[in-house]
Amino acid sequence: MSDDARRPTLARRARLRWDAARAQHVVVVPEGVLALTAEGAEVAALLDGRRSVAAVIDALAEAHPEAPREVIGDDVRDFVGRLVARGYVTLEAP
Amino acid sequence: MIDPPVALLAELTYRCPLRCAYCSNPTDWRDYGDELDTAAWARVLREAAELGALHVHFSGGEPLLRDDLESLVRAARDAGLYTNLITSAWRVTRERLAALADAGLDHVQVSVQDSDAAHADALAGTSTHAHKLEAAREVKALGMALSVNAVLHRRNLARVGEIIALAESVGAERLELANTQWHGSALAHRDALMPDRETLARAQAVALAERARLRGTMDVIWVIPDWYEDAPRPCMDGWGRRFVTVIPTGVALPCPGAHGLPGMVFDSVRERALGDIWREGADFQRYRGTGWMSPTCAGCERRDVDFGGCRCQAFALTGDAARTDPACPKSPDHHLVRDLRRERPATAMEPEGPLYRIDIRRGPRAS
Ligand code: SF4
Ligand code: SF4
Repeated sequence: MSDDARRPTLARRARLRWDAARAQHVVVVPEGVLALTAEGAEVAALLDGRRSVAAVIDALAEAHPEAPREVIGDDVRDFVGRLVARGYVTLEAP
Repeated sequence: MIDPPVALLAELTYRCPLRCAYCSNPTDWRDYGDELDTAAWARVLREAAELGALHVHFSGGEPLLRDDLESLVRAARDAGLYTNLITSAWRVTRERLAALADAGLDHVQVSVQDSDAAHADALAGTSTHAHKLEAAREVKALGMALSVNAVLHRRNLARVGEIIALAESVGAERLELANTQWHGSALAHRDALMPDRETLARAQAVALAERARLRGTMDVIWVIPDWYEDAPRPCMDGWGRRFVTVIPTGVALPCPGAHGLPGMVFDSVRERALGDIWREGADFQRYRGTGWMSPTCAGCERRDVDFGGCRCQAFALTGDAARTDPACPKSPDHHLVRDLRRERPATAMEPEGPLYRIDIRRGPRAS
């Protein structure tokens, strides 16, 4: 639970954008590009440093009432965890 | 259908106050003085973004010598590009760095020549080391992302541990340890710069151990050295596949080293749109895909992994740019690389006398 209280922020060096030429959302970093699925892009857009992980899950659960909340929660934690491991997202204390 | 490039390498100028012996710029770099102006570069940046590039790497020479660099950064950001400045940080002031940050510069890559001022300044042929460390800290303080880059060779490989500590001390998020690639001045100075196998192996062991220790703090990238790995480098990730280079005079090239290849057409952005050159330019088509390959590469399962290696290296060693890169063990010319390796004496003694970037004139280059 304590982990869900932390606030994920997209690092300043990582920029989320729409890549028109390849019709996909991407995160651009100094020496590379991370292609996102539509779902990933939806999560990434919420990593603004104000919302906690729990708040991100809430927002997505509200936008997708058809999807079970546990599944959304697992997906968000997994996605954020992978971006943290690569240094593209930092986790701020609650 | 030709995929769009992911990045534009904008070589703004070949002028540089430093004189690194390992410089990969053409040795007649002074002949490229007819540089594109601000408006032309702004158009190239827009065309690159429209074509599908996501990054621009401002490089040189020393891009800070262009006093319109701020405008070019702004133009790149307006076009949606992620902006990266590759620089020696030569005499850059806090004010100028702030102006660049203000213009939207995302990332700065500062090159260091060695781990301490005495060695580094001797290599650069000018006193820059102390200042560049200050500049690197300033980059961080201004909130831009910071990488450090060090080109490695016979004269500094033994201090790779100290170079890593230096990058750590200025707070770099990324450190690129790039073993010298043999183009331009570096090729001319190959005998003096190429390390022996033991020194290289020790340095690699240090770099890999430090990379593991620093995981999560600083990305340590070890760029494999030409000729010591028994596999060719996937040069530029394939010819005309991911990168487009525009040189100071406006010629668009698939690779910054391609100047020296015979039979090049040298299409210029002064005459053709960047997208046309990328898609149809003869230089880009020449070694794109697999059609040009010799039977050795054409029949090999790695042809879409390393793309047959480096064309410039094939040309430099065999005189034929379309041959399999001699760095590949399957190449009929591989003995050339084996012989060069075997001739390397041990790197025991301190290097012998100054060695600088080559500086010759052949007469101005037409754009
Ligand atoms: S390698 Fe050295 S001399 Fe060459 S452009 Fe870079 S800083 Fe200047
Ligand atoms: S033969 Fe050609 S494609 Fe195969 S590994 Fe060697 S260089 Fe690469």
